[in-house]
Amino acid sequence: MKLYSATIPGAALNIRSREAYYAGQKQLFAVVVILVAIVPLVFISWTAARFYQNSWLAKTSAEMQSLAESRGELIDLFLNNQENLLAGLVELYEPAWLAAPGNLEKLFAAMNRDGVIVDLGLIAGDGAHLGYTGPYAEHLKGKNYATAKWFAEVMENGRYVSDVFSGYRGVPHIIVAVTDPGRTWLLRATINSELFNALLASAEVGPGGDAFIINRNGEMQTPSRLGSTALSAEEKSLLATDRALAVHQSPDYLYAAAAIKNSDWLLVLKTDINSSLADFYRAKKRDNLIILAAALLILAVATILMRSMMNRVEGADRQRMQLYDRIRHSEKMALIGRMAASVAHEINNPLQIIGDQAGWLDELLDEEKPEALKNSAEYRTAFQKIRAQVKRASTITHRLLGFSRSTEGTKSRVGINALLEDTVSFLEKEARNHRIAIRRNLDPALPDITTDSAQLQQVFLNILNNAFDAIGKEGAVTISTSLTRGQIRVEIADSGPGLSPEALGKIFEPFFTTKQAGTGIGLSISYNIVERLGGAIEARNGKTGGGIFTVTLPVGDRPKEDTP
Amino acid sequence: MDDIRILLVDDEEDFVKTLAERLDLRDLSSETALNGEQALGYVGEKEPDVMVLDLKMPGIDGMEVLRRVREIYPDIQVIIQTGHGNDLDEAEARRLGIFDYLKKPVDIEVLVATIKAAHQAKKNKLANTAAAAAFAEAGEYETARRLSTK
Repeated sequence: MKLYSATIPGAALNIRSREAYYAGQKQLFAVVVILVAIVPLVFISWTAARFYQNSWLAKTSAEMQSLAESRGELIDLFLNNQENLLAGLVELYEPAWLAAPGNLEKLFAAMNRDGVIVDLGLIAGDGAHLGYTGPYAEHLKGKNYATAKWFAEVMENGRYVSDVFSGYRGVPHIIVAVTDPGRTWLLRATINSELFNALLASAEVGPGGDAFIINRNGEMQTPSRLGSTALSAEEKSLLATDRALAVHQSPDYLYAAAAIKNSDWLLVLKTDINSSLADFYRAKKRDNLIILAAALLILAVATILMRSMMNRVEGADRQRMQLYDRIRHSEKMALIGRMAASVAHEINNPLQIIGDQAGWLDELLDEEKPEALKNSAEYRTAFQKIRAQVKRASTITHRLLGFSRSTEGTKSRVGINALLEDTVSFLEKEARNHRIAIRRNLDPALPDITTDSAQLQQVFLNILNNAFDAIGKEGAVTISTSLTRGQIRVEIADSGPGLSPEALGKIFEPFFTTKQAGTGIGLSISYNIVERLGGAIEARNGKTGGGIFTVTLPVGDRPKEDTP
Repeated sequence: MDDIRILLVDDEEDFVKTLAERLDLRDLSSETALNGEQALGYVGEKEPDVMVLDLKMPGIDGMEVLRRVREIYPDIQVIIQTGHGNDLDEAEARRLGIFDYLKKPVDIEVLVATIKAAHQAKKNKLANTAAAAAFAEAGEYETARRLSTK
């Protein structure tokens, strides 16, 4: 005997392409996570950094501009004061009085209490030194300024303020000179420009920043804090503007420039953007690391979630495929059943004619004289055989028709244990003859169910017959019943050789048989009957060999919808 | 034995001809029809007692023949003999009213016995009807009703 199985052909179908599908889904999911979670994170952090940087630049620009303006005004005020002081002296005193020994010294001492003025000189309209007081009297004795550029300028304009220069004094200073209205004499003062340096040094321009004054030629009027002695070409072009007050920006520096001394000079404040923003850059770097870590965490969590989700989807898919396979199998069985039935129908007509023709010939023989027919007995035997074979064939076709029976049989309350006992009683004689023991392991508490007892008996009979055939001689059949998960479960196990894998796959298909004289119909009919009664039938091999057929039947009265 | 008027209807000519011969051997004479039209034509001319009818035929099929015969000639006893019918066909035929439903191949002796039984049934029915009429005339309506529904 070979058993059928509930193996699901095609369940492993397309596993490879399904895996590719799942892998594709995972990739898609990763892309979605990156787009939805990580991209906004990066975008927000980037815009926040931009915003901070821009607002810092705007604030710092405004501060530097205001600082440059106020320092410029202070320097202008200082220069104007010096100039006005000299103008006042020129107005008040006669040159003769000033030239008189001791007078210039007295004036110098009175006006130079704060040490800003280095020396004071009285010069005639022809450039000759008329008087001098200060630390460089020796150097300047007999000096004539007629050819000096500053002298020509002051004689022309009445007033003069020089750029910063060191001259022979060795310290940075500027010269302020004022003439009388008639241009006949002038007073000249040398001013210590260290004051400018102090003013600029106190400007808060941050680390790496600078503050200095340049003249129109770009020459440094005060020492650069950073020690640079000249402007770079880039800075020159950047600062070349006529505006009194301006802010400029290069990639690394921010400049604020204020024009002073009637636009002769430019006061420049310079801030190193990168050094000023160093803390911010450090914070930004730290933020980037945090964002990177968060992104990795999101990816990891998403991947784990994804994996578990995909596993669940995969499991559900697998279950669905198994269900599809089961449905396909049952449709296949139904189709084969219909085909078998239609073939049986078609064969019945010729069978009828063959039988009739043979019968008729047999009858016609009666009219012949027996002595005229040498082989009369053989004819009769042959006709009998034809009719016997027709009968045999018709038995098969009628069973096949039962296979596709489309209406429900009559139903009644049935005790499965009693029905099994009843069925076994048909086979007791055969069991004795073949020395097959029938063991019963029946659950006495089994409830009665509403079902078709005649059809069910046919099922059990088929299974038991198969079991007997599988055993041959000497062995045992064990019939067990139980109530399992709300269903009645009947197990019929034999001590035969069990089923081959091929047989397990096909045992319930019509015409599949391993018996010499088998038709392969019995189990397929059984399959259809049990399905129609809302139950299930399956075959497997026992752990110790031998086939086991299991029939499960619903206890509740809910047979399946009939599928013809 | 009474002469039974038999009509054999089947589209397989070999089948009906042989069957007629074999029935003849058993002293049963019969007529044959090879399709529904012929069968209905014959019934119109000469009402048979028993009709052996195949279900699957080209043109007017057996079920349709049965339906019309039942309407017009309710006394004809119809035996279905078919190789094609399924349970639904059988149920439908029985609902329309037939004497029996035989599945091919049918043994000749079974068929002969069925034909004879059908003929007997017809005779009984006619006798019942006649008796019922008599009882009705005599005023025994209850008896007449029981007989006529037998």
